[in-house]
Amino acid sequence: MATVEERVKAVTANILKLNIDEIKIDDNFTADLGAESVQSIELVAMFEEEFNIEMDEDAALSVETVGDAVEFITAVCKEQGVDIEE
Amino acid sequence: MGKVKKKHPLVDAKRPNLLEDIFPYSMPPRIRLEGSAIEYIDGEPVEFDFGAVKGRPILISDTTFRDGQQARPPYTIEQMVKIYDLMSKLSGPNGVIRQTEFFLYTKNDRETLERCQALGHMYPECTGWIRAVKGDFRLVKEAGLKETGMLTSCSDYHIFHKLKFRSRKECIDSYCEVVEAAFEAGVRPRCHLEDLTRADIEGFVLPFVDRLMEMSRQVPEELSVKIRLCDTMGYGVSYPNAELPRSIPKLIYKLNRECGVPSDRLEWHGHNDFHKVHVNAATAWLYGCDFINTTLFGFGERTGNPPLEGAIFEYIALKGDLCGIDTMAITELADYMRSIGLPIPDNFPFAGRAFNTTRAGIHAGGLRQDEQIYNIFDTAALLGRPPRVAITDKSGADGVAHWLNEFFGLKADDRISKIRVHKLARWVIDQYDVEGRLTAISDQELEVKAEELYPDYWEKYKS
Repeated sequence: MATVEERVKAVTANILKLNIDEIKIDDNFTADLGAESVQSIELVAMFEEEFNIEMDEDAALSVETVGDAVEFITAVCKEQGVDIEE
Repeated sequence: MGKVKKKHPLVDAKRPNLLEDIFPYSMPPRIRLEGSAIEYIDGEPVEFDFGAVKGRPILISDTTFRDGQQARPPYTIEQMVKIYDLMSKLSGPNGVIRQTEFFLYTKNDRETLERCQALGHMYPECTGWIRAVKGDFRLVKEAGLKETGMLTSCSDYHIFHKLKFRSRKECIDSYCEVVEAAFEAGVRPRCHLEDLTRADIEGFVLPFVDRLMEMSRQVPEELSVKIRLCDTMGYGVSYPNAELPRSIPKLIYKLNRECGVPSDRLEWHGHNDFHKVHVNAATAWLYGCDFINTTLFGFGERTGNPPLEGAIFEYIALKGDLCGIDTMAITELADYMRSIGLPIPDNFPFAGRAFNTTRAGIHAGGLRQDEQIYNIFDTAALLGRPPRVAITDKSGADGVAHWLNEFFGLKADDRISKIRVHKLARWVIDQYDVEGRLTAISDQELEVKAEELYPDYWEKYKS
């Protein structure tokens, strides 16, 4: 199974139409990767679908970097009993 | 940099102060006036007690069927009867819309009046409108009306260039003959001082009104002359210390306190040529004129008149009470007027299709959290018009979520979150970014997409 970081980067690359190798753990979704308002919503929705979890809307949308997303999703997966590869 | 006159320490708070005594939301925001205003007239300070307006018998009159109709093809009899009926509903049992005036010249004019009278409504009272011609009082009497407006133009533009009088004296004598004829016919004359804001006030208007007041003293109170202050060209100015003839405060002072025309016999009639029409009318109320004359949706000659529905909300704001007014009738009237072809701009306050529709995503975000943030008052309760968002590329997911929740009628925890609307939000963005669209997306288009993208909600709430 791919790690959380690899899966987050894959979803991000798909939504933002980027090459996965261009995405770094410290990248800010908006400033570095160019995510627009609706794309931020799509990222959260696709993370939920990818990990089969439900995230708090305001908390999820306040996540700014790829690394923070990995951390946030890992915590939610554990809380909701979802198996992941860290 | 300016000198600091007073320091203002922050009043920190952990809970919001929403100023609900002024902005109750269930009612239009209140206009509370403190103390008196001072106007310098003939070099002397004169006090006007604005606070008294809450207790004064201020009222609205209407000229939708006269000035409002002069600017358009005529209404049919049925249309006018329907409008009158709805106007009475709006006015309520206290008759806040106290009077409306009718032409009397054609068979259709007279049949319209008869059918409106036959509805049996106490308010608005029906009054007439005639030329300043003695023989026309026969029409007023035959129609069973107690009051009629009559043209008594008072600027020299009208006296000399339009009516071709040879002198002001000849003009006044002619007008007064007609007023005398009204008294003889037992009809109260309402003298329309046309073009007042371009007239010689001291040289013509005040001597004329003095004479009218003298004549009124010879007849019973119910026949005494009323005065309509006609700002025919929209020149009136509400600011303190503006000069005559444009100053509304000074005009009202001169007629009210110098000539002695009581407030309940003074009426302001404005036009919107300089975008001042509503505030000028409201100003007239404050300075001692009890009646303001309006038309539905401000429709009237050239740029129009004070909008009736604007006066209604001003009235409620000043009184702090609905006073029996049925504000929902405004929406019924707007729907009806649109159905018979009257153009009401989409952004027209209180009545336009989009008057409480927001387009900006950041505003829609506010609406989604709490409609009070971007809605003027409870427009659903008072007008049957909940706030809406129009969907464009600026709407964002907040706007789309607001639209979708309103469409499915979802409240509180049942509302669809912003995250769940991402497919519809993406479709909207692609309409502009990919398809090159330049127009707002219609409700019909969004409904089709809502059924396609949210079949479970559609099944539950729409089928």
